[in-house]
Amino acid sequence: MADQSAHPAKDPLARIAAPAITSADATPVRQRRAGAAARILSGPLPWLLPALGVLGLFYLYPIFEAVRLAFTDARLFDTETQLSMRSISSMVGSSTLGVILRNTLTYTVASVVGQIALGLAIALLVMRAERARLRGTLALRTIVLAAWVIPAIANGIIWQLLFSEAPFGAINSALRLMGVAPVAWLSDPSNAMTSAVIATIWQGTAYSMILLYAALKTIDPALYEAAAIDNARPWERFWFITLPHLRAALVVNAILILIMTLNMFDTILALTGGGPGRATEILSLYAYGTVFQNFELGRGAALSMLLLVISLGLTVVLIALLPRDRR
Amino acid sequence: MGQVELKSIHKSFGPTAVLDDINLKIADKEFVVVVGPSGCGKSTLLRVVAGLEEASSGALLFDGRAVNALSPGERNVAMVFQNYALYPHLSVATNIGFGLRRAAMSRREKREAVERTARLLEIEPLLKRRPGALSGGQRQRVAMGRAIIRNPAVFLFDEPLSNLDARLRMQMRSEIRGLHSKLPTTTLYVTHDQVEAMTMADRVVVMNAGRIEQIGTPSQIYDTPRTTFVARFMGMPSMNMISARYDGDALVLPDARVPVPADWPERLGPWVGRALLLGLRPEHLSLRASPGGVPATVDLTEPTGSETLVYLHHGDTRLAARTPPDTRLRRGDQVHLDLRLDRATLFDPDTALALPTLPADPSKTGETV
Ligand SMILES: Nc1ncnc2c1ncn2[C@@H]1O[C@H](COP(=O)(O)OP(=O)(O)OP(=O)(O)O)[C@@H](O)[C@H]1O
Ligand SMILES: [Mg+2]
Repeated sequence: MADQSAHPAKDPLARIAAPAITSADATPVRQRRAGAAARILSGPLPWLLPALGVLGLFYLYPIFEAVRLAFTDARLFDTETQLSMRSISSMVGSSTLGVILRNTLTYTVASVVGQIALGLAIALLVMRAERARLRGTLALRTIVLAAWVIPAIANGIIWQLLFSEAPFGAINSALRLMGVAPVAWLSDPSNAMTSAVIATIWQGTAYSMILLYAALKTIDPALYEAAAIDNARPWERFWFITLPHLRAALVVNAILILIMTLNMFDTILALTGGGPGRATEILSLYAYGTVFQNFELGRGAALSMLLLVISLGLTVVLIALLPRDRR
Repeated sequence: MGQVELKSIHKSFGPTAVLDDINLKIADKEFVVVVGPSGCGKSTLLRVVAGLEEASSGALLFDGRAVNALSPGERNVAMVFQNYALYPHLSVATNIGFGLRRAAMSRREKREAVERTARLLEIEPLLKRRPGALSGGQRQRVAMGRAIIRNPAVFLFDEPLSNLDARLRMQMRSEIRGLHSKLPTTTLYVTHDQVEAMTMADRVVVMNAGRIEQIGTPSQIYDTPRTTFVARFMGMPSMNMISARYDGDALVLPDARVPVPADWPERLGPWVGRALLLGLRPEHLSLRASPGGVPATVDLTEPTGSETLVYLHHGDTRLAARTPPDTRLRRGDQVHLDLRLDRATLFDPDTALALPTLPADPSKTGETV
């Protein structure tokens, strides 16, 4: 009861006295001196600090550290390091880098385009089935999503079994049953990249599908009805209604998949290990091998920097494609 | 060119019947308004005509030709949706011209058609904008433009004005009517607003729970409702319904006896001694200066400026009366009412249908158009 009567809102006297009590509680000297600090503290900064701290510690610091290492000749188990441009110059001068970059380009473009196209196709199919009130769309979505839940390394192993050229290889067995000659999926350098791309698309499609399906859900169905009355063909509906509506989702999707694909190396590591030869060795895998197999920490850091620059550059390009109001 | 006929159309979604035996014949160039409470199946009816829904059974004829199997695009209808459904990523001009994509016209002819339509609707300055940058009323016009430009056989409107404010709604109401007289085209217009129905329609179709209650001109619907539902739904305030009994020479109300017009005894022969519902529009109740008539107690008055609505009760029956603007009454005042029985409609309380015999003489119903 006593608490209640002292509550500022309840007691007019307490309400008048309240500011005085507060300022008496705070140390007056500090308050006057720290006018600017108070302004900062009352702004958004204190609320952002925890997030900034975490980001700084776990993202910015490693990046900073990688940049520093790129300018040294550090080796993984060698504490003696000195500043040097050797890592960078040997990376740029290496004849392998050209091959690696070409692999990376092929792998990334094919995987990203494939994941988006297939994800969009499945999302459209699910929407179509839902509009026709077919059953089983939830099951379909769940199955597609299941691929996403499998760890990338396991995905690589699964596809290695599927592509296997041994008698138990699933795909070749099936081909044999249909009377088609078996294919050297992984051992032929000209097929290995295709196989790696297939394995990556198979896993990544679910992500695109869910993202694009969510965007498709937000299209007003009346638009399609209006188009039906205007006698629009299916491709016209897709071109004039669906595609412009999906633009933002497609670009965001492309950015995310691009970054994930550029950094992806576990699927390929398990599937081909980058081989045969260097046929499927992409930049991330190359950097991994440089550090953890050749122990060339400085050079690996330089390669990671290259990867970062490529990711950032492509992301900026893609952001320019976003609709103006979404940038 | 644009005659539409619905022959015992049924439509159900799963087990629920939404349209039940709809029969309607719309003449070429006629403006028919379908009105009814929310959920009665108006939109479904319109969508069946458009081809966006398939009828479960029944025939849909355009100019005597069955169109059930045609896709919406093949039916040559145009529709204005409640939320306009403008293509958000296309300019106003492209939106309006969208239906001309496959028309046998040159680019220039198409552009001129768009400009002509825009001029007709007074939206020329907006042609380059996107729909997102338009007001509700402007979007409404663009949606109409998209419909008009195709010169369709049938216009379909689904509550096109319900997202507009009252003033704009009134303006668009008369504009749509004006457009119809400039470009006479068969029109099926759905609304839940009885004012739109009364003011715009050549004929009104009143629907309730998936069935047609009555089809008629606005004045037929207003003056001679066929069912108590129509009587209550159309008119604001709605028709007064008073329980009564006819004793051979007068109507016995809860608390009064009202002598009947001279021609009633002959018509009401079979109804002597049976319960009836007396339906009277608020304008057919008037206040008497002197005692007599039907006593009632005032509950509430609503001066609107041009008239004063008086809400009263007689026994347990609530009544509304339209009175001159200078009426000064207060809650609890005792008044006496005159009933214009010559304008009354009598209903059978068991079937909710108007008595077939009353009013028999069309000249008595006063066709005031
Ligand atoms: N696709 C559908 N599936 C199941 N039921 C539906 C479907 N569409 C409409 N209904 C039902 O059919 C009935 C009539 O719907 P309709 O949209 O025709 O009503 P309405 O008269 O246009 O109402 P309102 O004035 O609110 O627009 C409603 O009870 C609605 O729930
Ligand atoms: Mg509706």
